[in-house]
Amino acid sequence: MERDMLRKLELLNQLRLTEEQKDDILAFFADREKEMETLEKFDTSATERMVHVMPITTVVREDVVSQPFAREDLQRGAPETDEGYWCVPRVVE
Amino acid sequence: MKYETVIGLEVHVELATKSKIFCSCSAHSYGADPNAHVCPACCGMPGMLPVVNKRVVDYGMKAGLMLNCHINRTTTFDKKSYYYPDLPAAYQTTQWFAPVAVNGLVEIETSKGKKGVRIKQIHMEEDAGKLVHDIREDTTHVDFNRTSVPLIEIVSQPDLSSAEEVEAYLERLKTLLRFAKVAECEMAHGTMRCDVNLSVRPEGSDKLGVRAEMKNMNSIEAIKRAIEYETARHIDAIENGTEVLRQETRRWDDIKGKSYAMRTKETAGDYRYFPDPNVMPVVIDDEWFDSIKASLPELPEVKRARYTDEYGLSDYDAEQLTKSIALCECFEKAYEVCGNAKDVANWIISEAMSILNVRKMTYDMLDVDGKALGELINLVSGGKVSRVNGKKILSAMFDDPHIDPAKYAESNGYVVSNDTGLIEKVVAQVIAGDPKAVSDFKGGKEKALMSLFGRCMKELKGNCDPQVLRTILIDAINAL
Repeated sequence: MERDMLRKLELLNQLRLTEEQKDDILAFFADREKEMETLEKFDTSATERMVHVMPITTVVREDVVSQPFAREDLQRGAPETDEGYWCVPRVVE
Repeated sequence: MKYETVIGLEVHVELATKSKIFCSCSAHSYGADPNAHVCPACCGMPGMLPVVNKRVVDYGMKAGLMLNCHINRTTTFDKKSYYYPDLPAAYQTTQWFAPVAVNGLVEIETSKGKKGVRIKQIHMEEDAGKLVHDIREDTTHVDFNRTSVPLIEIVSQPDLSSAEEVEAYLERLKTLLRFAKVAECEMAHGTMRCDVNLSVRPEGSDKLGVRAEMKNMNSIEAIKRAIEYETARHIDAIENGTEVLRQETRRWDDIKGKSYAMRTKETAGDYRYFPDPNVMPVVIDDEWFDSIKASLPELPEVKRARYTDEYGLSDYDAEQLTKSIALCECFEKAYEVCGNAKDVANWIISEAMSILNVRKMTYDMLDVDGKALGELINLVSGGKVSRVNGKKILSAMFDDPHIDPAKYAESNGYVVSNDTGLIEKVVAQVIAGDPKAVSDFKGGKEKALMSLFGRCMKELKGNCDPQVLRTILIDAINAL
């Protein structure tokens, strides 16, 4: 983790970090990278990839359509609606 | 210097499911009121949990197998950060770390011969909603009907090098996915969309040039034009320094025939993918996998060869029939009933395909029951219904696929009459009404007989064996 990358992530996540916080984060990641270097010494080519920490699977549902929700109920909390649409500030020029 | 274009495609295909990917709202909202097919889940309301539609995984697997991919038997969903009002949760649920299918191969054929295009991956994901900008000046209107409609994204390796190859690749994808019945794949309907990643490099170089991603092409022709324009723009920039090429996303304007920079191209890091904690891994067991594998259709080229070898059809007939899985299924079922492949092929190619064309329907929209078509062909070839009336019955079968041809012929007076008394009566009336035509025929004008024959057939509403009518007509004239 470099300082430039941290600055980019700060921007993307809309965070404002102090210099001290940044130093702490960079030190944290530097330590993790050292641990990764150790782990990378293991040969894992024959090891099945782990995709989840728990041996758990999702449930699936059949492809059946149900009644939609009443639009008025869904839009009750909306700041603004117009003819069934939600309204947001204009996003294109 | 000679240059080569390097192209990779990202093709989004809307899956032909009834409901959305993570909720049971209808996936079909064409013509519906805005936000008529929405629920708290697809509207991104806090606390709502997604539940995976099994058919989406079925279709993802089918698409993967049709494109010769390896299927990840444990496949996971991830969140892609995406802050824009057309996705209300501010992220798209997609697949990044373990997509359903990887490492495929699609073979294409162009004027330069055959070529393999590698598939990097196929992932399942939700579509975004629709934004409307032209209702009010200061406002964007949001419709979530399309939000969470299931898509697969097919990502190719940069193995394509011309507009012709891109066209062949897209046509091949369409054919394979339509044969597997996983998607409509109609660019004009938005059920197939394509982003083009393109760069240019000196011929023979192994280093890729600066890449541009192009969006907003709504037809294969537009894609071809965009590729040609963009290739020329890159070469101009490299050779003449007309501009500095940047990795960016560009919007194609097909009316102006130009592309415009939209934004600097994001990289994967910008999306901050992370495993979706709300959707557990989908584990595809042997039973599930085998059932999908067993449901795969015969490939079009295999069918084509079988139709010529097994049924003795011409190359042309086999080519026409294998343009669509619906035509193939209709043909095979009709053949089972009537046992005459050439006759069935003729009825489908000459009659059914014409009706589809007149009604501006695609071949995949053929909804005529093949078994019923076989029965209709038996009625016509057995002389029980005339070909003219057979066509009328077929047309009615397009309007109502449940029509029984025999019953329909009976109830509409289309059954050929063996009543020679009725035929003789009609013949007598017709020849009495046109003595000139009778004398013309007697004087050697064959055309005059055809005219009388046509009028008799019209009076009999086509329900007459043409040979019987001809014999009775000639006998009646000769007896005068």
